[in-house]
Amino acid sequence: MPRSSSSHSKVLTPNLTPMLDMVLQLITFFMMLVHFGSRLEGANRGVRLPVAPAALPGASLTVDQLSAGLDARGNLLVGDETLDPQAAAAWWKQQADARRAGLELLEEPDAPTPAFAESADLPTVVVLRADRAATYGVVRQTLAEAQSRGFAHFSLVVLKREEP
Amino acid sequence: MSLGPDQMFFPAGIAAAVDDQDVDDGFTRGYRPAPPEDIYFPAAPMLDMAFQLLAFFVLTFRVPTAETHLDLLLPTTPAALPAATRGLARPTSSPLVDTDLDNDLIVRAEADDLGDLKSLRLGEAEVPGLDALGARLKRYIELLGNRPLRVRLIADDRLLYEPAARIIAVCSASGVATIRLAHPGASP
Repeated sequence: MPRSSSSHSKVLTPNLTPMLDMVLQLITFFMMLVHFGSRLEGANRGVRLPVAPAALPGASLTVDQLSAGLDARGNLLVGDETLDPQAAAAWWKQQADARRAGLELLEEPDAPTPAFAESADLPTVVVLRADRAATYGVVRQTLAEAQSRGFAHFSLVVLKREEP
Repeated sequence: MSLGPDQMFFPAGIAAAVDDQDVDDGFTRGYRPAPPEDIYFPAAPMLDMAFQLLAFFVLTFRVPTAETHLDLLLPTTPAALPAATRGLARPTSSPLVDTDLDNDLIVRAEADDLGDLKSLRLGEAEVPGLDALGARLKRYIELLGNRPLRVRLIADDRLLYEPAARIIAVCSASGVATIRLAHPGASP
């Protein structure tokens, strides 16, 4: 018996539920990963970070960060620039002075005692990405240089495991 | 113009059904609803929103990395400054100055000619490896109770940064409160 022509004119309604399920699962996946394992600021391809399996996941860093890298030869990497030790010293001083100036602006003008003294430690966290082939002495001297300018909070970026 | 009972009470589709079933026989029977049909759930708007959210997360997705960070607090006290001999240290009368360095635990790391870690000592005792160092530090922390344990790392300058970072990571993971980096000639 031939089919009637009315059967061909029906509106097809595809079942979208499985697709919706999959999309929601993908959204959940991306939402879960959005805050975990994010690369820290100041990543540089020229720096191979050391692997320290014992390192625990660090707490989130503060807003005021200062990122710098250190290559295998001990040069400071700031953005796209490579600074020799003398230029690096000037750069640390410039960064510290800029932050002190900013903190002085935040002080109450009629405060009895200044909230921020010249000799006080800066609240800025210095994020240092040093190459694994650099020596401990170079890293220590870099930290000491920053420390002498008033920086006291440091974060050394390491890898928990080797990355491909 | 007057409306019939079917037009007053029922929407058009239902009114048509009523027409088919009841009007023909002059309302001799009461309204009998049609058997329930499948409820059509419009998933397209939700799918649109879901795709927009998915696009947002895909576009802002960053590949997970194994990066983490070791936090160091190095206050600018004269004794904690490794580069104090360069004249850059400025002693301060700030109450934050911590001169109680005698209670620091000393970790010494010696490097071989290639810069690899040759020996590791905790105080005067030799430690076979990083795992043993971590275990001993944890025991120290248990013994100290609520008091914070502070460690001073005295390592050869030619030691590669990677083994040094591993030592710092072990100290940090063991629960050491403060890690100071001292120059190789520093006395305990």
